[in-house]
Parts: sequence; structure tokens; C-alpha cells
Amino acid sequence: MALLLVLTVLLPLVGSLTLFARPQLPTRSARALALGFAGATMGLSLLLLLAFRPEQVGPQFSFVDEAGKLGLAWLPKYGIRFALGLDGISLWLYLLTSLLMITSVFASWESVEERAPAHYGLLLALQAGLLGLFSSLDVVLFYICFEFTLIPLFFLIGLYGGPDRRRASVTIFLYTLAGSLLTLIGVVALVAVHYQHTSPNVLTFSIPELTEGLRNLSWPEWTQPVAWGDWRLGRSFWTTPQVLIFLLLFAGFATKVALFPFHSWLPLSYVEAPTAGSILLAGVMLKVGSYGFLRFNMAMTPMGAQALYPLVATLAVIGILYGALAALAQADLKRLVAYSSLSHTGFIVLGLFCLNATGIDGAVIQMFNHGLTTGALFACVGMIQERYHTRDMAELGGLWNRLPSWAFFLILAAMGSAALPGLNGFVGEFPILLGMFRTDRTLAVFATLGMILGAYPLLLMIQKVVFGPLKEPGVYGDDPGRSLGGIRPLGWHEIAGLTPLMVLIVLIGIHPKPFLDRIQPPLRPIVAQFMKIQSAAVAGQGPAIPSPIAAAPAASAVVVH
Amino acid sequence: MSAIESARQTLLILLPEVLILLSAMAMMTAGAFVKVPRRTWSIASAATLVVALLALVLLRNQVTDPYGSVALNDAMSGYGRMFFLLTGLLVLAMAHNQVDDARAPEFFGSLLFINAGAMLVTSANELVFLFVGLELVSIPTYLLLYLSRRTASTQEAATKYFFLSLFSSGLLLFGMAYLYGMVGVSNLKALSYLAQVSMTLPSVPHPILGLIAVVFIVAGLGFRVAAVPFHFYAPDVYQGSPTILAALLAWVPKGIGFIALLRTVTAVIPTDTAPPTNNLTQQAAVLCWIVAAVTMTLGNTVALSQTNLKRLFAYSSIAHAGYLMIGITVALRNGPSLAGITLGSESVLFYLVSYALMTLGVFAVIIGLSTPERSVETVDDLAGLAKSHPILALAMATCLFSLAGIPPLAGFLGKANLFFAAFSAAPSSDARMYQSLAVIGVVNSAIGAYYYLKIVVAMYFREPVGKPLTPALAWPTATAIGACSTLTVLLGLWAQPIYSASRASAEALVLHPEPVALLVSTEHDRAETEAELQKSNNAAREAAALQGFQFAPKGYSRP
Repeated sequence: MALLLVLTVLLPLVGSLTLFARPQLPTRSARALALGFAGATMGLSLLLLLAFRPEQVGPQFSFVDEAGKLGLAWLPKYGIRFALGLDGISLWLYLLTSLLMITSVFASWESVEERAPAHYGLLLALQAGLLGLFSSLDVVLFYICFEFTLIPLFFLIGLYGGPDRRRASVTIFLYTLAGSLLTLIGVVALVAVHYQHTSPNVLTFSIPELTEGLRNLSWPEWTQPVAWGDWRLGRSFWTTPQVLIFLLLFAGFATKVALFPFHSWLPLSYVEAPTAGSILLAGVMLKVGSYGFLRFNMAMTPMGAQALYPLVATLAVIGILYGALAALAQADLKRLVAYSSLSHTGFIVLGLFCLNATGIDGAVIQMFNHGLTTGALFACVGMIQERYHTRDMAELGGLWNRLPSWAFFLILAAMGSAALPGLNGFVGEFPILLGMFRTDRTLAVFATLGMILGAYPLLLMIQKVVFGPLKEPGVYGDDPGRSLGGIRPLGWHEIAGLTPLMVLIVLIGIHPKPFLDRIQPPLRPIVAQFMKIQSAAVAGQGPAIPSPIAAAPAASAVVVH
Repeated sequence: MSAIESARQTLLILLPEVLILLSAMAMMTAGAFVKVPRRTWSIASAATLVVALLALVLLRNQVTDPYGSVALNDAMSGYGRMFFLLTGLLVLAMAHNQVDDARAPEFFGSLLFINAGAMLVTSANELVFLFVGLELVSIPTYLLLYLSRRTASTQEAATKYFFLSLFSSGLLLFGMAYLYGMVGVSNLKALSYLAQVSMTLPSVPHPILGLIAVVFIVAGLGFRVAAVPFHFYAPDVYQGSPTILAALLAWVPKGIGFIALLRTVTAVIPTDTAPPTNNLTQQAAVLCWIVAAVTMTLGNTVALSQTNLKRLFAYSSIAHAGYLMIGITVALRNGPSLAGITLGSESVLFYLVSYALMTLGVFAVIIGLSTPERSVETVDDLAGLAKSHPILALAMATCLFSLAGIPPLAGFLGKANLFFAAFSAAPSSDARMYQSLAVIGVVNSAIGAYYYLKIVVAMYFREPVGKPLTPALAWPTATAIGACSTLTVLLGLWAQPIYSASRASAEALVLHPEPVALLVSTEHDRAETEAELQKSNNAAREAAALQGFQFAPKGYSRP
């Protein structure tokens, strides 16, 4: 199975190189080839899902050598390894990437005609980077994939995007690069801290080993408890190792996830990106940030997370409210969806920084949900743009009469996004709010307000665009040949791209258990860590002891001190 | 080991340089009498370099006495010279049609001289010899700058370079004199060994001499690597000279400058004392810290507003000198286990390799695109390149992304290595200083990405302006472009060979064996042992004295 996982990552890369190598390929064969590669990757990913053992905590499908090390030797001198593996957290994001890739290919089926091979090649390269990112078990490999995704995205937006594409591509590139370079420093610092404070000095870049090692580090400063209030008391707060490294890591991931003050690249990039780019960007790339929060910030610097959660959660709530209000003010469909997506991303971050099992569970499943609904919404908007060459809501109305199946998809996706009970958004956002009520009431109240507010722009959009009397723009700009009656209904490819998303939106809404069953085991050690820190803090005791956490009940930690 | 034997060995390991020098001299002399086309001269130069490469490989196991000879054939020297030869071939491939027939012998002869000089610096084990190597690079460079075109701007560039280079050589010599004065030998290994011993003695003559030496050597070499505040010449000189010379200036002086810094500063100043008791190390580190931080910040911020390609890459090369100074700073921070110095030197060497590939790649593309009718001078000239010449645009973009430090390319690993070295220093009072340097470096990389991206944007997202580019790409240039861009990718994906080579070189740099193998067996009586010890401790000085440099005995005695 280990080989299968590597194949899944390499397959899109092979596809992308094949497409780049033949730039003269006609559009029809290029898209068929891309679909073939995306479909094969999806098939292999499903095989992995079938073979996945739900109860296992550690990563699966990875190579293990005689010494018990994961992965294959890559740069042996430093112990950097080509280690891939999936656990319950990454599994769903991995599947989401494969799934949304198919939607993206279908979404660009008719709309991309110029330089189609390069377009699909870039999409596949982006997919390969994302798959590698979610499955990598080595920090260097993770970082390489993390940054590599920028290159295809840069060209995707810059070559195939909207009118302001050049600015958009440069903006997203520089913003995310600046953030992620700080993350690189954070990652290097983690490795260095681990190296210096283990005896004998162990130089490892393996994510599971680092997580485990940092948890049991015998460095008093590392496990020294810090609280948000400390900095006002003049104690060393910002320079505490965990806080410092948390902030370095945070810089890159917060930019990727577009947390409130770091979000300014997002509306521009979403709107200017081609439909396929928006789907992958909003659906998957955004999750890279929240995934990084979980894997690095929370698993490796829990003290930092515990100390800074009020700050991060507040920013998340501001983002939720801001995104919802900004979405209300938009006349452009794509901008509306972009801001609404921004608002709902806030819930993911909020859920993670509840720092309790309920919230984190909700956040992880919400990552998957958000990808499904946002991907579907962007695909729907893309279909309108392709047909009417406008996204202005003032010019559109009553499309139910013209495109009933499109309207059905849009409503379902919007409802899923607005967290209607019975659909997937509810399964994610409800536990997040529940978890937040346990951690911080005030913030939870505002977040709930944001949830209601967040539904409003989506409902407004449905009201304006779907219902009411039919209203269509009379002029098609650069495409005057087409008459009003010539708006074609959804093609087979559009239906095929959206149907799996819709099925999952409903399925998760009514039966989330199989998903949660796989998500929860790897989250247990992370949650246990926070339970211990919190109970130690509540008891007003000394620092949490650096002992193996795995099965230690929170109470015993208090007794020891 | 007798002086004759030592000289014989030294000459043997310097065979590649000797070959190149002979060939260069023959070419320059013959050039005055024979009229043959440019092609012949370039083939002769290439053949010389290949023969030198073969000689280097054949002599790889030849060793010399570290305390008795002016040149070494350790890992640093072996790998370094090999790399200079290979990049020399690349430069030659780029240069093969950049000169007219009349000036070809002098042009190619100078290129060979420069190559030999760079190799001498790499293998030097002697202050004066190292200086000779540096000058062997500088003097032909003046010649090349004057030779190229006789316009006012070229003249200005050449004059500027000439005077500043002379000035910097003076600074360097001044610093070297103090280094010599500190312990009294000019053999670098002996210097390094004695510096360790004398610094721990209570009767240290004047450690302050060491500081003066470090300041002036860093200043003198700072000119070659274009570090602030000795960077002023770079933009003007790059812009004023032909592209091939800009490429040469962007790589060779930087390469030898850093190798000379490693040989004369980081490997020499005392390594086995902890920072608090050794002010010299700490002060030198602070100096390099400031140079590094200012150099990269200035290079990157000023590059942001450049539109002329050569000026832009001049500032880019300044910025990269700043990144490389991070490694030097780390190398000055010496822990008990020498972790700092090996990690630091190693990351500098690795970065130099990736820097050479990506910078030469960029210049090779510019050279390949330029024609006498339509030269490529500004970023706008590259607009729309992806449509007209997709392969060249791809090669250029690869090198640019690598310069910006995007994975999975060589430049990323190089930067990651430097940052890792900065973080690997053991925790102590000044660990934060190194970590903050890494953070400054990271912020700079993010700033720097903008101007590289600007070129990518022009190539891929903009429509061509002006006359279309119609390059007649000669195969050597095409090979150079292909080699640079391919290796940039390959090195990013599989860096193990270069990692091993730079690690071996870094270890060889700090290695200074006991002057004479001390095998004190139990049979020896006390007096004999004493005598042997005395002998061994003086061996380094004696060895140095054999070279004709007087040993100053004052202030040094056995403890």
C-alpha cells in the first residue's frame, strides 16, 4: 500500500509533465488526458480509503525501514526522508484534493480553450503538490510541497485569470511566500530545539517523531506554562520558546488560511483566478493553513497554542463577522462567494482553537465540508460566468426557469455552506460552537451571531439569482452571436463534476459517523495534551510534567504535582 | 620533510593551475603574431580546462605537508577547484562568441588566468600565495573590462573597478599583515594551529591584532563579494560592462571571496574556546552579523526598483552576498564540538554551488537572447518571452525561482541550509543573535522574491514590446543554459553529492593536525619526550621558516 500512496502522488505529476511536454495538443485530448489522470488518482485514493484502518492513531501506508524509520532515505546526512503516510486527519483532505480536482477539470471543460494543455498541466501539478503536502511525514518534504504549490497557482492565475490577473498572481505569491518563509524558520527552530534538548542529540525531520519528541522534551523552559495574561504582568511572554515558535509557524499558516488581518490577498485572488483555480484555491489550498495549524502549532507547540488561543480565536471571530458583512455588500457573485468562504473559514480556525475534543473534531470535519461546499459554489458561479459572461447579481434573476438543475446544485451547496441542519455544514459548525461555548462564552456568542449573519448573504443570493422572474443580460459582451434561447442547459460534465459533491454534502449531513470515526483517533493525543495543560492550569499547579501523554489521565498529572 | 620534497609536491598538486597558466601565456603571446579565428582560441581554452580537470582528477590523492607547503590538496581544494573548472567551462561556453576575432586571444587568455587564479585561492595555504591568487583574478579582470568595448560607460566601469579593487587589495594586505603579526607565521594551517595555542596562553601578545586583521580582511574581501559597504561599484560596473563580464563578476569574485574568507578568517581564529572567554570570536561574529544584515537588506530593497536587468542582478548578487555572510557569521560561532564552524562553512559552500548555477543560468539566458541588433537590457525586453521562446523562458524562470528560494530548487536548499546553520548553534546568551539573523534573512528572501517575480511576470503574463527577439542561439550557450537550469532542479531534488562534498570540504577547512605525529611510546625517556615535544611545537614555525618567511619568536613560548 505504501507504493500505492507514492503512486497517487506521482500520477498527477506524470500527467502534468505529459501535458507540458505536448503544448500543441488539441483541447479535446488535453482535457481527456487530464480527466484520465485525475480520475485514476481519484480511483487510487478511493482504494486507499478502503484499505484505511480507522482505529489506528499513527500514519498509515508509509514505508518503514529496518530501524523503524518512516519513509525512504533522501538526504541521509541530515536524516531528511522521503516519507509519505496518511492518518485520519490528512486522509479526508487527501480525498478532497482528488475529488475537487475532478470538479476542476470538469469546470474548465468548456471554458478553457486557449493553451489548454498547459492549463491542465498546471492543475495537475497543483494537485500533485497538494497531495504530497497532505501526505508528507517529513517537515522538509512538507515544506517543499507547501511552497511548490505556489508556482502552478501563480501561473494558473496569471495566465488564465480575470482582467486583473497579473496583480492577483503576484499578490498571492508574495503574501504567501512571506508568511511561509517565517514558517520555515519556525520549522527549523522546532527541529533545532528537538536536536539540542534530546540526549543523545537526535536530528530528525520526521513529523511523528518530532511531535512525540517535543512532547517529552526535557527542557524546563519548553514546558514552562504561559498564559495570555502574562504579558500584561510584565513576565516574559513573547520570548517564551513555545510562544515564539508558535508565532513563527503561525505567520505562514494564518496567511494561507486567510485569517482576518492576513486575508487581504484572498478576495483579489479568488475573483481573478479561473474557475478551476478558485475551486482548488478555496476548496483545498485554504485547508493547508488549518492543517498546518493542527499538525504544527497545536501538536508541536501546545503551550504556545494554549497561551495564544484567545488572540487567535478573536481574530477568527472577527473574520467570521467581517466576511459575512463584506459578502452582504457584494454585487458580484464570485466576490460574494469568496467573502462567504472567508467567513466560514473562520469557523475552522475557531474550532481548532477551542482546544477541546468537540471543537477540534468539528474543525477537522469542517475542513472537508468547507472544501465541498465552497468548491461547489465556485463551480456554480463559473457556470454562470461561462454562459452569461457576467457575474453581476443585478443582471441575473429567476434562473430557476432557465437552468433548473444548476439552481438545485446552487441551493444545496449554499444551504450546506450556511449550515442547515441535515446538511454537512451543520455537522461541522455546530460542534465548533459547542466547543467554543465551553472555552469562551463571549466569543462563542459572537461566532453564533456570525453563523446567522453568514447564512444571510447566501440566502440573499439565492433569492436574487434563482427565484423571481427570469432576468438575463441581453448582451454577452464578446460573444454576441449567441441568442437568449441559446443558453445551454448543464452539460453531462458539469453534472458529473457536481454530483459527487452533492452526495457527500447530504451524506455527511445525515451520517457523519464514518468520517468522524477516522478523524478522531489521531486527534486523541493532541486533545489529551491540552486537557493536561488545562487541568494543570486550573489546579494552579506547576508546569505540566513532560511525561508520555498517551494514556495519562488529566487528574494524575495534577496529583503528581 | 625537506624543502625540495615539499616544493616538488606542491608543484605537483598545482599542476592543473600550471597547465592553465602556461596555456594562457602561450595564447596571449601567440595572439600577437598569429591570426586565427575566435573559434580556435575558444576551443584551445576549453581543451586547456578539460586537460586541467583531468589532471586534477588524476592527482586527487596527492597530499602535501599542511605546514610545509603553500598549497593544499585537501577536500576543500579538490572539490573547490573542480567546481571552478566546471563553472569555468560554463563561462567559456557563454563567452565563446562574445568577442571579435582580433581580441579573442587576450579575451580567452584572461578567462584562463582568472580561472587559474580562482583555483589558486581555493588551494592556498599561505597568506601571500592566497593574495597572489586573488590578484591573478583581479588583473585579468581589469584587462577584460578595458578590452570589451571602448565606450564611455565601459571606461567608467573599468576605471571604477580598477581603483576600488586596488584599494581593497591594500586593505586585504593590511589585514593579512596583522594576521601574520599575531602569531608570526604566514602558513594558514600553522597560523590556525598557533592561534589556538597562543590564544589560550596567559602571555598572548596582542589579541587585538587579531581583531584588526579580521576587520581589514573582511573589508578587503567584502569588496570582492560585493558586501555593504563595499558594494557601490557593483551596479555601475555590471551595467557598464558586457553581459558576459557581468556574469563573470557576479560569480568568480564572489566565489573566491567567500572561500578566502573561510580560509583566512573562520578557519584561523581560535575555535576551541567558549565565546565568553574569547572576545575575538565574538567581536568578529558581531562584525559579520552587521555586514550580513545590512548587505542583504540593502541589496534586496534597492533591487526592488531596478528596471535594468544587469543593475537588478547586481543588487541581487549583493543580496546573495548578504545571505552567504550569514554562513560566515555562523562559522565564527564556535562551539566546543566545532559544530558552528563546520555547519557554517558547509552551508556557505553549498550555497555557493547553487548560487553559481542559478546566476550563471540567468546570465546565460540573457546572453543567448541578446543580438547586436536587439540587446536585452531591461525587464521590458523580456516581455512575452514565454510566447516567443518558451524553452528559454522556462530555463530563466527556473533560475529565477531558485534565486528567490522556492522549493524544490537548489536555491531553496541553499537558503534552508543557511537558516538551519544559524539555528543549530547551541543555546547560549548569543543564540538569539544568530536566530534573529535567520529571521532577517527570511524577511529578505520574501522581499527579494518580488523582483525575481517581476521578471517572471514580464516573461509569462505580458505581451512583447518593441522589436521581436531573434536570437541565434549557439550550441555552447544553449548547453550552458540547459546545464544550469537542469542542475538547479536536480540539485534541489537530490543534493546528497553536493552535501557530502561541502561537508568534507568544511571539515578539511578546520582540520589542523598536530604539527608532527607525536608517537610517544613508553620506551622514550623523559628527556627524549621533552625534546620531541619541543621539536613538534616548533615544527610549524620551522616549516614556515623554510618558505623564507621569518618567524618572530617573541611572545611565544611553551607553557
